[in-house]
Amino acid sequence: MPKQSLPSSKSQQEDSRQIGRRDFLSVAGAGLTLGFFLELVPRVAEARMPGIAGPPPNTQVNTFLNISSAGFVTLTIGSSEMGQGSFSGLAQILAEDLMVNYNTIQTVQGVPATGAPAVGNSIGTFGSTVIRDNYWSFRTAGAAAREMLVSAAMNIIGDQTRANYTVSNGVITYTPTSTNISYGLVAAAAAKLPVPANPALIPDSQFQVIGTTVNRVDIPSKVNGSATFGIDVRLPNMVYAVIQHCPTFGGYLSGAVPATPAGMIAVVPTQVVAGVGRGTETTGMVNAVAVVGPNTWDTWQAALNLTINWTIPASSSNLNDQTFINQANAALTSNTPYAANGPNTPPTLYTIEGNFAAANAAIAGAAKTNSATYTLPYIAHNALEPMNCTVNYVPGVSCEVYVPTQVASSVLSLVNQLTGLPLSQINVHTTYLGGALGRKIEVDFVSQALQVAMAVGKPVQLLWPREQNFLRDQYRPMALVQASAGLGASGNILGWSYTNVSASILGQRGYPVGASGDSQATEGSSALPYKLGALSTQWISHPSPIPVGFWRSVGMSINTFAVESMIDELAALAGQDPYAYRLGLLTDPRWIAVLEAVATLSNYTAGPAPGHGLGMAITTYANSIVAQVVDVSLVSGNGYDGQPILFQVNNVWMALDCYLNVNPGQLQAQLVGGMVHGLNAALYGRQSFVNGAAQFSNFFQNRVIRLNQMPQVAVTLIPSPAQSTQSTPIGGAGEIGVPTLAPALANAYFKASGIRIRTLPFFPNAVMENVAGV
Amino acid sequence: MSTTYTINVNGQNQTVTVNNPAMPLLWVLRDLLGLTGTKYGCGENLCRACTVLVNNVPRQSCTTTVESVVGDTIVTIEGLSPNSSHPAQLAWIQYQVPQCGYCQSGQLMSVAGQMLAGNHGPNIAAQLYNVCICGTYSRILQAVDTL
Repeated sequence: MPKQSLPSSKSQQEDSRQIGRRDFLSVAGAGLTLGFFLELVPRVAEARMPGIAGPPPNTQVNTFLNISSAGFVTLTIGSSEMGQGSFSGLAQILAEDLMVNYNTIQTVQGVPATGAPAVGNSIGTFGSTVIRDNYWSFRTAGAAAREMLVSAAMNIIGDQTRANYTVSNGVITYTPTSTNISYGLVAAAAAKLPVPANPALIPDSQFQVIGTTVNRVDIPSKVNGSATFGIDVRLPNMVYAVIQHCPTFGGYLSGAVPATPAGMIAVVPTQVVAGVGRGTETTGMVNAVAVVGPNTWDTWQAALNLTINWTIPASSSNLNDQTFINQANAALTSNTPYAANGPNTPPTLYTIEGNFAAANAAIAGAAKTNSATYTLPYIAHNALEPMNCTVNYVPGVSCEVYVPTQVASSVLSLVNQLTGLPLSQINVHTTYLGGALGRKIEVDFVSQALQVAMAVGKPVQLLWPREQNFLRDQYRPMALVQASAGLGASGNILGWSYTNVSASILGQRGYPVGASGDSQATEGSSALPYKLGALSTQWISHPSPIPVGFWRSVGMSINTFAVESMIDELAALAGQDPYAYRLGLLTDPRWIAVLEAVATLSNYTAGPAPGHGLGMAITTYANSIVAQVVDVSLVSGNGYDGQPILFQVNNVWMALDCYLNVNPGQLQAQLVGGMVHGLNAALYGRQSFVNGAAQFSNFFQNRVIRLNQMPQVAVTLIPSPAQSTQSTPIGGAGEIGVPTLAPALANAYFKASGIRIRTLPFFPNAVMENVAGV
Repeated sequence: MSTTYTINVNGQNQTVTVNNPAMPLLWVLRDLLGLTGTKYGCGENLCRACTVLVNNVPRQSCTTTVESVVGDTIVTIEGLSPNSSHPAQLAWIQYQVPQCGYCQSGQLMSVAGQMLAGNHGPNIAAQLYNVCICGTYSRILQAVDTL
């Protein structure tokens, strides 16, 4: 079983030098070390991750492969492990071309590098990117190292004929004499050789590791309590800080900082740091205080009992659920079209595709039309490990940060910004993340921990109690989608008009939103694969300043619900089965194959069991295509919470085409996990606001499913090609399980009940059962 | 006013001093004894990430006061087995259950308690209420079915 260790030292990257993107670097030291980039391809094509602090100067190599003279293979990885299995996947990819046993690779959490020269590299784990963006560089790194080791062996043997050498399990064999040379024996000599530019890769037909379900490297530590999450960091003399935000968005501390309660160490006001605040959170505003004390519990109780005088601006009284809906409806008709040099203050209308007038003229002339409004609420992230960050700051000397972050390079930049320390005196240790779901992209909690550490002069761990996580989130935006379509005689779509009104995630991060709108809001609503006739896709920015952020699958989860519900409504209008109807609208063979695969898996054409309904949905994200079929059966009566039960979700079948299946077991895990995330949101997910104050503070009202609500699941994967090519993009899997669940569920419920659900969640008043005595 | 208690954790008597006898066992374990395998999730006996065994019965340590467990036998994930050899731990590895892993200590302690009560397979699953946000439930069911 491979070992996994945290955290790592920065020393091994200190003498790195760079020879170019996608090239590898031989680093002086024990054995052979190759340093290279872990690529980050942002979710947003036109820029690096918007709203993420720019990469620090001199950030450089962030990932290392080392083969020691003792033959140990160590892979130091810059990205974050939050349960998606990326450490294991990267080691698996490397093992293939390095030709070593996957189980012998030790993976180590890396740190954001600070070597020269600057190339604008960053480390981020989001956008379903880790495997798909690094597949070819990891394969090439493995092959390059292998060929350097073989060259070193050739020099010892004295025969430069490459065909006379084979490699297996980290051992080079000189076949004429059956002489074996281990990697470790030639690692030091290999380090002195040039790095080959185009080493030969293993043909796909000879894969031994890629495409197999290997065990994850991190799982042994996650069954015995030894895995170190951020909240588990314990430093000598560490004190504990607990945050208490102003309960109202837009509010700030007025007057004096509350006195330090008995038994506590300090009360530290924390302000919104430049680049960190969203929406109502203005730079310089003190929107929270941190109580510092000897342990979490006493400090938490002191924070709860603290009397804090907040100033609430009058504008906060406009932040209400119904106001947001009213504003969205008004924005549909009262808005200003985007202008290149205009202020583009919300509500601004962005034309994403097609022509609104032409589409609506086509719809008006159609024999059958359908118009629908879909409404989705704000939803909080619900990572089970709450926000936390541990800082050991020695003024003028060093700053060590231990944090469950998705973007360690943003943390590095922030520490540099707040402390003024040079990068060489800062260490960011990425811990395991106990769930992240996009919330741990943000660094607001890191900025607070740094402020507290700088104030108290002791190592400090800052925690957001669960309630603070729900009440002070950067929520998935609420959205209102207005969709209309007109059908011809055969059910063909003559006109399609789609307008999404939602707040801009990028806009709240100061990112310039151009004529094509906010990509995070529009993804999943444009470039649809269906034959839609005269087409219009629009996005209107919503004026709400409630902080919004990246929620696993982001805009896909909003638009896929509306688009795939609408397609289902049109099938019903045309009097056709939704599966056959979709097939008739599709032309892309990849989409058709995925849809057929899920239909086969679910035995869709056999029809539902009596009293059941089958619903389907399909979408694409991160170069992957996913289709789901959901089976529900109607249930009468009320649940323990007094809410109608309505239905039971019995089965979810999923088909995935991600082009290349590295680890089938992990793809299955990610798809099922994403589906559950989508199910939690579709059934229960929403945050409510009254006069700017979020209302739902714990899992009681932010209900999620327990084991007894888990549907049966089955996943089928479209097979990898016989020989993959670098010109075909590899698909990601971290988010794609999420977006299709809600529409497939709503479509299934419609089939079973005849009732069309257009407003999520299904059960806005549900509460979680507190099961006693078990 | 601080109070000192002796509690038995993983077979060892531990003396802890708290300012408030209502301090939940969770924070005694995590902050005073350094046993961080037991996780904080909700603090309200909802998610069960904090589950430990008290006299062989699963108990949510976030709502169990330290003074209430004096004299009891407490087992945390660190004490479940010396080398991850408990059948539930082995099944968790075999079926590759964890994703982020944050809830899994609590899942395993709940399962271990059900096993101590003589339950097997589906009877364990029927009593398993721990939340998993990653959605590992189907693999938990596979693993529990072997126990």
